[in-house]
Amino acid sequence: MLAIREQQSSSDRAQQPISVDLPYPGFQFDLCLRNQYLISKGFKAPIAVKTGTTIAGIVFDGGVVLGADTRATEGEVVADKNCEKIHYLADNMYCCGAGTAADTEKTTDLISSKIRLHSLNTGRQARVQTALRMLKQMLSRYGGYIGAYLVLGGVDCTGAHLYTVHAAGSTDKLPYVSMGSGSLAAMATFETQYKPGMSMEAAKELVSEAIQAGIFNDLGSGSNVDLCVITSRGVDYIRPYKEACSKGVRQGDYSYKQGTTAVLETKVREIKFDVVSVTEHKMEVD
Amino acid sequence: MFLTRSEYDRGVNTFSPEGRLFQVEYAIEAIKLGSTALGIRTDQGVVLAVEKRVTSCLMEPSSLEKITQLDGHVACAFSGLTADARMLVDKARIESQNHWFAYNEPMKVESITQAISNLALKFSEDNEDDDEMSMSRPFGVALLVAGVDKDGARLYHLDPSGTYIHFDAKAIGSGSEGAQTSLQEIYKGDLSMDQITVHALQILKQVMEDKLNSVNVEVVQVQLDGVCKRLTQEQLQTYIEEISK
Amino acid sequence: MDFGTGAALPVSKPPLARQFNPYTSNGGTILALSGEDFSLVASDTRLSERFRIHTRDQPKTYKLTDNVVLGCCGFHGDVLTLNKLLAARIKMYKHQHDHEISCSSLAQMLSTILYSRRFFPFYTYNILIGLDEQGKGCVYSFDPVGSYERETYRAGGTGASMLQPLLDNQIGFKHQNIPEQDRPELTADRAIALVRDVFIGAAERDINTGDGLHMQLVTKDGIKTLDRFPLRKD
Repeated sequence: MLAIREQQSSSDRAQQPISVDLPYPGFQFDLCLRNQYLISKGFKAPIAVKTGTTIAGIVFDGGVVLGADTRATEGEVVADKNCEKIHYLADNMYCCGAGTAADTEKTTDLISSKIRLHSLNTGRQARVQTALRMLKQMLSRYGGYIGAYLVLGGVDCTGAHLYTVHAAGSTDKLPYVSMGSGSLAAMATFETQYKPGMSMEAAKELVSEAIQAGIFNDLGSGSNVDLCVITSRGVDYIRPYKEACSKGVRQGDYSYKQGTTAVLETKVREIKFDVVSVTEHKMEVD
Repeated sequence: MFLTRSEYDRGVNTFSPEGRLFQVEYAIEAIKLGSTALGIRTDQGVVLAVEKRVTSCLMEPSSLEKITQLDGHVACAFSGLTADARMLVDKARIESQNHWFAYNEPMKVESITQAISNLALKFSEDNEDDDEMSMSRPFGVALLVAGVDKDGARLYHLDPSGTYIHFDAKAIGSGSEGAQTSLQEIYKGDLSMDQITVHALQILKQVMEDKLNSVNVEVVQVQLDGVCKRLTQEQLQTYIEEISK
Repeated sequence: MDFGTGAALPVSKPPLARQFNPYTSNGGTILALSGEDFSLVASDTRLSERFRIHTRDQPKTYKLTDNVVLGCCGFHGDVLTLNKLLAARIKMYKHQHDHEISCSSLAQMLSTILYSRRFFPFYTYNILIGLDEQGKGCVYSFDPVGSYERETYRAGGTGASMLQPLLDNQIGFKHQNIPEQDRPELTADRAIALVRDVFIGAAERDINTGDGLHMQLVTKDGIKTLDRFPLRKD
């Protein structure tokens, strides 16, 4: 801000008195103006990678199950066939991320460290509620520009909780949730099959079914189902829980015979070296 | 109200009570006034031969051209009104180039003939459709279309009614009746190009009023490889000497 | 220029031009290759739009004559219209010239049809296969506005950039130090196995390719449709 002001005023310094402003407190949006100017002149702004995803979670009798697919895409191309979308927040809570890959990772990492500090300061295990508040406060401060769409689940002294967090900072607390490009497919599964007070096994199977609905019907989602079961007794991170479809078996042999790569030139060069004699000395140990 | 019998030939599109289109029939009659042209086809190729009526010693005979090329592999001889033939030849050339453009292959001889025949009956007295190719009367010309395609050597005869027929040998023009009889006598399927050229000239010689020489006759050979060769005066002279023996 | 002075963002924006986009991509991959006495065209069977699957059973090969097949993908609406037009033109040709159109003439015809839409093109990727006048397998590949050439193998569609390098290596022997005379002749059996293998690879990485593999083989005996080969469905 300061630098720009000085540059700008250099031309009309004669007319205006030089005044040095202190930077404004809080966020600065100077670059927004500059970026808008550049875009108006035809500059193509870089676009962050957004991945298609299916993430979901349900509350069952005694805990929560979180689920995610494992496909990461760059446009039309699968960038990672087995990526991890269920992120660690604390020992009693995990968070599935959809949206801009970098945003989900950095946001969960940041909140994870804040929660660790919080529990060290308070000497207690953090509540899911606390993590939720930290997430939504951070995201809303950025007005939706941090493209993190999250499913937060965990168990604390008040019970099992499941939330969704939108990039703008709005949140929901629900018994079954889904997010990402495959969220409609996953939600359709929940809407037909979810029952309150399910057993852990039934809950795991239902989340798996929901994720698979996303994997098969949403092109942005694919590969495997990862699950994370959180109860008051601990966490069961199952990766992969299920391989939704396996890779085809190739029939041909694609190994190359020796000499396949053409030798264009051969040169033998002598490497000069000095022989250094080495003698061993026994270490004295008394 | 019936028109009298002779009045049915006034309109080009009016049938007579006997079911005849007189104007078209008259057009076919007009061909019989034209110079004689004939074509002979064998498995070796096709020969077209036409008499040129050199009516004055001041006329330049080479400017009289009655055999013309439609495409690389197709030639055409005509008898009747030369100016009408020009229109048909133009049409044939355009169609065969369009075909090559669209399909990257030479157009079949039959298809070229068909394309011309489509034009033959496109005439009417009231030219409302501003079609520049549209005529107010039938064409006064008959064509012999000779060429080579994937079916081998082909010879088609097309008359002003638009009818076209594949022939082994065909004569048109003023001397056509006599020439056609002679063609039937001499025709055999296994004749060579040389032999049919000789026969063509011999028959022309018989039906022509003037004495046949290397100037008042035009001959084009379409070979099996699709090349059209117009005989030079020297080549014609050699053939003429041969038949004079 | 006025930035950095702390002035407020301009309140009124210039009017936005909204345009109708007549095209969408419906994905899909096609592949064709030819040998001494056969040619082969293959496609996946998925039809999609953005992140949605329309159907898992839409082969993208179209039989044009008794020994010519067209692989055609891109915008499905244009694919259907183009094939209707081709079918009509082929029938018209047959009636006009009294014989079936040849593969090379069909290629030229397709090229002129595509170029006739030079400034509002059919959004289609085309690969034509058949047998030439000598009975050899032939492959003609096209760009959407009619540029075409005869080749021995070619991939098209959304997964083309994944298949083509593999074919270059395996059929074209690119980057393999094997002299011309030592290269094995491509048999139909090896071609089929290779096509299956490269499509397995494309289905792994291209989100628009998958579900099933459809193949048609052209030999002197005509067109044979091979059994459907399953691909990933995710």
